[in-house]
Amino acid sequence: MQKRVTFSHRYLPYLLVAPQIIITVIFFIWPAGQAVVQSVLVEDAFGLSTEFVWFENYQELFADPSYLQTFYRTIVFSFSTAALAMGFSLLLAVMADRIIKGESVYKTMLIWPYAVAPALAGVLWFMMFNPTIGIISFLLGKVGVSWNHYLNGDQAFLLVVIAAAWKQISYNFVFFLAGLQAVPRSLIEAAAIDGAGPFRRFWSIVFPLLSPTTFFLLVVNLVYAFFDTFAVIHATTQGGPAKATEILVYKVFNDGFIGLDLGGSAAQSVVLMVIVIVLTIVQFKYVERKVAY
Amino acid sequence: MVENRPFLTLLSHLIMIAGVAIVALPVWIAFVISTMDATDLLGGVAPLWPGDQFLENYATILFQGEQASSAPPVLLMMTNSLIMALGIAIGKIVISIISAYAIVYFRFPFRMFFFWMIFMTLMLPVEVRIMPTFKVIADLNMLNSYAGLTIPLIASATATFLFRQFFLTVPEELLEAARIDGAGPVKFFIDILLPLSRTNIAALFVILFIYGWNQYLWPLIVTTEDSYYTVVMGVQRMVAVPDADPIWHYVMTTALLGMLPPALVVLFMQKLFVKGLVEQEK
Amino acid sequence: MATIKIDGLKKRYANGFEAIHGIDLDVADGELVVIVGPSGCGKSTLLRMVAGLETITEGTLSIDGTVVNDHEPGQRDIAMVFQNYALYPHMSVFNNMAYGLRNRGVGREEIKRKVADVAAILELGDLLDRKPAQLSGGQRQRVAMGRAIVRDPKVFLFDEPLSNLDAKLRVQMRIEIKRLQRRLGTTSLYVTHDQVEAMTLADRLVVMNAGRPEQIGTPMDIYTNPASMFVAGFIGSPAMNFLALERMEGGRLRLPGSEAMLAEDDGSNGAPVLGIRPEHMRTVGTAADADIVLSVDAIEPLGADTLVYGRALGQEGEIVLRLGGSHSIGEGDNLPVAFDRNHLHFFDRANGRRADVRT
Repeated sequence: MQKRVTFSHRYLPYLLVAPQIIITVIFFIWPAGQAVVQSVLVEDAFGLSTEFVWFENYQELFADPSYLQTFYRTIVFSFSTAALAMGFSLLLAVMADRIIKGESVYKTMLIWPYAVAPALAGVLWFMMFNPTIGIISFLLGKVGVSWNHYLNGDQAFLLVVIAAAWKQISYNFVFFLAGLQAVPRSLIEAAAIDGAGPFRRFWSIVFPLLSPTTFFLLVVNLVYAFFDTFAVIHATTQGGPAKATEILVYKVFNDGFIGLDLGGSAAQSVVLMVIVIVLTIVQFKYVERKVAY
Repeated sequence: MVENRPFLTLLSHLIMIAGVAIVALPVWIAFVISTMDATDLLGGVAPLWPGDQFLENYATILFQGEQASSAPPVLLMMTNSLIMALGIAIGKIVISIISAYAIVYFRFPFRMFFFWMIFMTLMLPVEVRIMPTFKVIADLNMLNSYAGLTIPLIASATATFLFRQFFLTVPEELLEAARIDGAGPVKFFIDILLPLSRTNIAALFVILFIYGWNQYLWPLIVTTEDSYYTVVMGVQRMVAVPDADPIWHYVMTTALLGMLPPALVVLFMQKLFVKGLVEQEK
Repeated sequence: MATIKIDGLKKRYANGFEAIHGIDLDVADGELVVIVGPSGCGKSTLLRMVAGLETITEGTLSIDGTVVNDHEPGQRDIAMVFQNYALYPHMSVFNNMAYGLRNRGVGREEIKRKVADVAAILELGDLLDRKPAQLSGGQRQRVAMGRAIVRDPKVFLFDEPLSNLDAKLRVQMRIEIKRLQRRLGTTSLYVTHDQVEAMTLADRLVVMNAGRPEQIGTPMDIYTNPASMFVAGFIGSPAMNFLALERMEGGRLRLPGSEAMLAEDDGSNGAPVLGIRPEHMRTVGTAADADIVLSVDAIEPLGADTLVYGRALGQEGEIVLRLGGSHSIGEGDNLPVAFDRNHLHFFDRANGRRADVRT
């Protein structure tokens, strides 16, 4: 945790941590505290007085079917996005690991989407699926699927899942490939000598050894889908049509900025904080385990 | 591979090529559209081969902007994005490296308290505290300013942990030798620790530059004046035109310009980028 | 040129652990004092207290008559050579050597001259532009030495500087360090766990055990008159043999099962122990002339010497015997062995201290 020999200085260490601490307090801890405080208050219609209402805002929140629906939708959205992004990346990583010649070329060609902002990823796929000019909606039309994410909620949902997953491919690919390359060659060779074919080897040897990477990526992808995909949705479907793509983060933003429901929005914020805290703890527990390996 | 199976190798290449194509397709189509003019797109589905409006579209967008949604010239938005990305990346690195230095190399009261305080920022992304943070920024008069765009985002638990982790691997004796050589805390930091952290700083810079450039929600809430728009959020203004179709060739031109700088950073600093990505998760 | 005076020095850590229980030591100008002991005996802590890298809990430390307890390491005018060399990895050899001089405000030209002089002494002239990563272990060791020498400090501190070298280089550098120290005449403290290094380098030795100095003296003094069983066992290789003695009526001491009386009463009631070095035993023709009969179970011919391992009746531990030249002794032989009466050591088992007995 620390060096054996350390400097001792009366004020220098405080000076060094000060910028970080000041910013943390003003822009992180104070607002988070405000959210907690707000979440137990109700403001009257004119903003003149506030009343302490215990957990009424939370009770209201969880009694609200549209919030519960959003919650459920967010979970479906996050797991779909994670599954799609991870499945596709794993397939590519396994192939790249097999290839000896040209592996680095493929790698280069696959990592750049990391640099694309989620909002722009959303806009790109929004265009690809656009009912008028989109090439995919055009092809879908040819096989008899009428695509219009402006009207069809399920299609809009699928659109944001694809856009969100696409952006995550490079990240997952980098980690899966690193994980695969860390699998000892001797194990695979031993399995081959034991008569296991490539597919059997993958499922019985490689995939189990890859499970720490997979688990780690699952957490990262879920966090990403929960929070960073706000931009994907805001830049494209704006939560619509008919809330079909409204996820929790979008709802907090919408209720707070557009609906101006401070108490309700604050309670939603606190719920989200709890989710992040749980995910962070899971992630750190996992990191501890990774060290032990 | 363990055994030589030409068929499997061929299959691997085919799948890789298909994968690369799927990943690249939207960008290619976007590029094609960005070289069209409005009439080319009236006929329905976008073509697969570029048109001849490349220079016109890019010049218009860069220097004038899209008139219909009264978005500012993209060059201005890209400048804002650049300022924001650099401000965030440099700011995060500076305040993180010095706080990690304090935490690892000094013994002082409340050291662990500060450490956990920094750790807490990990659990409080902007998304979960939008309203109250907005209020703080508004109260501090930081709306529509570069300070408002950058400073609230530069606290970084991840970067602090990364530097802390790295400092812990620096041999103890280096500090001892430096102290015997007459170096105090500031000299040791500047002469020894900073040069040793070079690659870590560079790798982190790549990651953080992309992070800063790609910010969306933050600029969305702290900027109301066009002149502070960043390109990533500016695109949204062009897409979400009320009661009309977006002007696709301008939207795509802007989107491509918006993704170009971070993509170039990733491609040209691939090694540092991968290092940064992996180290960040340690 | 300088003297070091260590007066009642103690080290207690925040968790209450006492690493040094109090030590007094005067190092004369130009003297090379080696602190030797097993790991965890506090020898490195002592050196680091002199360097200023550890705080002093109690006692005073003076260099050249000035109490330096509260001086920063940089202000003590000392130089230190570390076990892992601690070269600055991003600096060239030249800059590694120049860094301490620069921090002391030495002029550019003078730095150049000084570094060049030292580089010539250590044959580092061609390596000045290299980075540490481009050097071999031996070269790095030289640079670490150069960094210390170039500052022309009052005191050199060596913290196991040869442990990271291979055996051959270690012997070579050992001689080189001794020559350099003699030539420069700089007062030096040298910490090692290697007793051969300690014996060969030291003007005076400090043998430490569990945070206390067991004995301070010249190497030969310590070899011939070890003050305790610990010192006797630690200095000398192979280590001294310890044999249990019987106290007969009249207080005379003899080996169990032997007729020969080895010593008069030590006047104490403790269990007496005989110490005899492997090189102070010899083979004799018959069991009648022998002090013990060794039943041999292993032989190590070293060329110049032969080491014979075995057990003797009435003795628990293994006994080792060093014979000059080569011998045709076989495993399983019963070897009559006699002791050199001039080199017998007597100890009290209870406290491990040397016992004064008349032989």
